Amino acid sequence: MIKNIRTGLSFGIVAGLMTFLFGGWSVAVLGTLMGVGLGLGLGGRFPRKDPLKIAAAAFPSGLVAAVVLILLSLYQNSNVMDAIGKKPFAEDLALKANLLGFFGTVIFTSLLAALHGLPEKQERFYKMILLAILVVAFPFVDQATSLRWTAQIIFALIFVILGLGLNIVVGYAGLLDLGYAAFFAIGAYTTGILSSPVHSIELNFWLVIWIAAAMAAIWGLFLGAPTLPLRGDYLAIVTLGFGEIVPVLFKNLIDVTIKEPLTCWILPLFRIQTKCIILVEHEDLTLGEKGISPIGRPSLPLLELGEPMGSAYLIKLALMGLALALVVFLLVRSIRSGNKSISSLIGYGVALVGILLVFIPIPLTGVKFIDSLLGVLQPGEFESSRPVTWYFLIIGLILLSIFIISRLRDSRLGRAWMAIREDELAAAQMGIDPVKTKLAAFAMGATFSGFAGAFYAAYIRGIFPSVFDFSASIIILCVVILGGIGNINGVIVGGLVLMMADRLFLPALKDFLSLLLTHTVLPSINDPVVQMAVKDNANPILYRFLLFGLTLVIMMAVRPEGLIPNAQVRAELHAADEEKKG
Amino acid sequence: MESIKKKINLRRLGTLAITLYIVFLIGPIAGLDVPAIAAAIKANPLQLVQFLIIGISNGAIIAIIALGYTMVYGIIELINFAHGDVYMIGVFTSLTVLSVTGTLDSKDPVKIILGLILALVIAVAFCAALNASIERLAYRRLRNAPRLAPLISAIGMSFIVENVGLMWAAQAWLVPSFGTTGGASQKVFPDMIGALFKATGFNGGDVNLFASTDIALRLTAKDVLVIVLAVALMIGLYLFVQRTTLGKAMRATAQNRDAAKMLGINIDWVITATFLIGGGLAGAAGLMAGLYNNTAWWFMGFRAGLQSFTAAVLGGIGNITGAMLGGFLIGLLASFSDGYLNARWTNAWVFATLVLILLFRPTGLLGEQTGQKA
Repeated sequence: MIKNIRTGLSFGIVAGLMTFLFGGWSVAVLGTLMGVGLGLGLGGRFPRKDPLKIAAAAFPSGLVAAVVLILLSLYQNSNVMDAIGKKPFAEDLALKANLLGFFGTVIFTSLLAALHGLPEKQERFYKMILLAILVVAFPFVDQATSLRWTAQIIFALIFVILGLGLNIVVGYAGLLDLGYAAFFAIGAYTTGILSSPVHSIELNFWLVIWIAAAMAAIWGLFLGAPTLPLRGDYLAIVTLGFGEIVPVLFKNLIDVTIKEPLTCWILPLFRIQTKCIILVEHEDLTLGEKGISPIGRPSLPLLELGEPMGSAYLIKLALMGLALALVVFLLVRSIRSGNKSISSLIGYGVALVGILLVFIPIPLTGVKFIDSLLGVLQPGEFESSRPVTWYFLIIGLILLSIFIISRLRDSRLGRAWMAIREDELAAAQMGIDPVKTKLAAFAMGATFSGFAGAFYAAYIRGIFPSVFDFSASIIILCVVILGGIGNINGVIVGGLVLMMADRLFLPALKDFLSLLLTHTVLPSINDPVVQMAVKDNANPILYRFLLFGLTLVIMMAVRPEGLIPNAQVRAELHAADEEKKG
Repeated sequence: MESIKKKINLRRLGTLAITLYIVFLIGPIAGLDVPAIAAAIKANPLQLVQFLIIGISNGAIIAIIALGYTMVYGIIELINFAHGDVYMIGVFTSLTVLSVTGTLDSKDPVKIILGLILALVIAVAFCAALNASIERLAYRRLRNAPRLAPLISAIGMSFIVENVGLMWAAQAWLVPSFGTTGGASQKVFPDMIGALFKATGFNGGDVNLFASTDIALRLTAKDVLVIVLAVALMIGLYLFVQRTTLGKAMRATAQNRDAAKMLGINIDWVITATFLIGGGLAGAAGLMAGLYNNTAWWFMGFRAGLQSFTAAVLGGIGNITGAMLGGFLIGLLASFSDGYLNARWTNAWVFATLVLILLFRPTGLLGEQTGQKA
C-alpha cells in the first residue's frame, strides 16, 4: 500500500516538474500519459482477482499522483512563469487543463490497473484497445492543445522502427552491430536517389520504400558474408568501420568514374593493346555535402476526401467505415476462436487496411491501379504542414514491423537465432547453420532500417550524409539497451522515452534554463567572462552524448536486461548472480 | 590428400584474384587509379620518400595507441572503445598544461623544454589514471558477464569521455581558442618544436633538417622526435613485459586468468596495471600527436581509435610486436592514400584493409596472442 502510494508520488513529481518545461495544456496530456503508465505499472502488483477491488486499491496512488501534479502545475502557472519572464496561462484555460489532467490521471490509473483483474487474454485485448484509442487520439489532442509534439513523436517513432530492426540483430541473434545507421543511410539514400527530381527518376514512394528495404537487406548480406564467420568482437569493429565509411561514401560519391581495369591498364601492361571500356563517367550520384533535396513524398488518394458531403466524399466515408467494420469483425472473430496472438491479429488488421487503402481509390476514380501506385494521382500528397498523415503512416509501418518481427521471432528462423545466441556450438550440433542464420538476422535487421530510412527521407524531404554518423548508430543501440534487449514492447518504450528525452525534453530544458538564468542569476554576476561561461555551460544539449553514454554504462551495471526485460535474456544476464547465491 | 590441399589453395587464389579485380574495378572511385599513380611516382620519385617519412611518423603515433588496445584485449578480451578517446584527452591535457604554464608564449628555450617535459609527465599520469578508473568503474564488475555487456559499457564510456573532451574544448581558460569558437571546432595546438628551434636559432631556426641542403625533402625535427620517442617507448614496454615480474604476471594472466589466479597472481592489480600502462602510452601519444599534427579536436579520438584498432588486428591482436608493426603499416597506408589516392577516402581504405585482413588472415600478420578463456 505504502509502496504504491510512493510510486504514485514519484510519478506525480516527475510529471509535475515536466509541466515546468512545457506549461500550458501539457498538464492535461502529461496527466493522461502518467495515468496510463502508473496504471500499467501498478496493475501487475496485484493478484489476479476482482477488477473493482484492484481499481479501489490503485485509486489512492492515482489520487496522490494527480494532486501532486496539479499542485506543481498550479505553482508553475503562478510563480515559475513569472520567474522566467513569461505570461502565465489564462486562468480559465489553466483551470480546464488542470481538471483534465487530474481526471486523466485518476481515471486512467484505476482503469488500467483494474484491467489486471480480468483473465489474461481479455486483459491484453482491452489494453490493446485502450492503447489504440490513445495512439489514434494523440495527434488530434496535440493539435487541439497546440503542444506541437507530433513532429517530435514522429522522430521518436522512426527510432522505434530502427530499434526494432536492430533488436533482431542484437537481441535475437546476439550479434553486436555498431554500424546500424549505415543501413538507415542506405535506405534513405536509395529513396533519395530514386524519388528525387535531381536524378529525374522520381519513382513513387510506395514502390521505393520496398526497394529501399531490399537494398538495405542486400547490403546487410554483403557486409555480413565475409565477417560473420568471425568472432563477435571483430564483427562489432567491422560494423563500426562500415558505419563510419558509409556516410563518407555518400559524401564523396560526387564524381564517379568506373573503368574496366583489364582492358584499361592490366593488358596494356603486357603490351596487348585493347580498347578501354568505360562503364560510368563523371556521375554525380549523391550531391555530396549538399545532400539530395527535394525528395518525392508519398500520396494517398484517399486522404483527399473531396468536397464535404459530396457524393464522392460520402462513398469514401462509407467504404472506410466498411473497411473498419470488417477489421473489427475479423478481430472479434479471431479473439473468440482463441489460440492466435494479439500481435498477429493486429497484423492481419493492418494488412487488411493497407489493401483497402490501395484498392478503394480504384472504383472511385476510375484510374488504373498501377497509375495510382506510381503517384500520377496527385491529390492527397503528404505535406509537412500535416504531421498527422505522417504520424499515421509511421504508426502503420511500426505495426507492420511488429507483425513481421513477432512472426519471425516465433518461427523456426527466430528460434534458431536464439539458439545461436545462447550457444553457437550447441546450435550448430543441432543442425542449425550458424553463418546462414546470422546472415538472415543481419539482412532482416537491415530491412527495417531500410523502411525507416525511406520514411525519414520522404518526411524530411532532404538527406545529408552527416545525419547517419556513428552517434546515430549508438543512439539506436541505446534505444534497444534501455528498453530491453530482445523484447518488442521494451524497444518501443525505450525508443519513445529516449527520443522524447532527446528531442523534446532537452531542448525544452535548455530554453527553460536559459530563461531562468537570464531572469535570476545572470544579472547578479558582474564579471562578463564568468557570465558567458555560466550561460554557455548551462546548455543541456551540450551533454547529450554524456547522457547517452551514461545510459549505456549505468544500464549495463545496474539493469543489463533493460527497463522491460525479456524473461530469457534476464535469466541469462543474471546467471552469474545466481551462481554466487547458490 | 594432396589434391584436396591443392584445391583449397586454388580456391584461395581464385578468391584473391576476384577480390583484387573488384578492388581495381571499384577502387578508382576512391582514387585508386593505377596508371595515374604510376605516372605520379615516375614524375617525382622523391615524393615517395616524403610520404614514407610522414607515414612512419604518423604510424609511430598509431602504433603507440594500438599498444593500449592490444594489451587490454590480450588480457581481458575486451575492445576498450574509450581508449582512442583517452588519447584525445591526452592531447587536451598537454595543451592545457602548456597553456596554463605559459609555455605557449614563451621565447625561452629552457622554459619550453621544461614545459614540454611537464606536459608529457602530466598527460601520461592523467591518462593512465583516467584509463584505470574507466576500468574500475565500467568494466570490472562486468568481468564475468556475457561478452556483449562490457563491450556496450565500453562504448558508453567512449561517449562519456568524448563529451568530456567537448566540454573541455569549450573552456576558453583551459584551451586557448586562437580565434575558433565553441567546443566543437578543431583547436590549434601550437607548433612548440618550431618555436623551440626559433628560440635557439639552431639549424638556422628552421625545423626542417634538410632546409640548408639542396634535397627537396622535408624531414623535420618533429618527425625525428616522434619516431625516437615512440621507439623508446616500444623498447621500454617490450623490456617491461619480457623482463619484469609484473610483465611476467601480465603474460600469465593473458594466457589463462584462472591458472594465474591459482598461482597467487593478483589479477585485479595486473589488469589495473595494464590499463595504467595503456593509458599512459595514450597520453604520451596525445602529446606527440599534438606536437606533430598541431590540432586538437574532441572527435579525433574516434578516428584514431579505429585506425589503431585496425593496426592491432593487422599485427595480430594481443601481440605487442604485431601492434607496433601494424601501426607503422597503417600509418604508411594512410600517408600513401593521402598522397596518391584521395585524402577524402583514407578512412575507407583503412577500413577496407581491415576487412581484407579479416577475410584472408584473421589472426593478423604475426599471429594472435590471447588466452583460452574458460
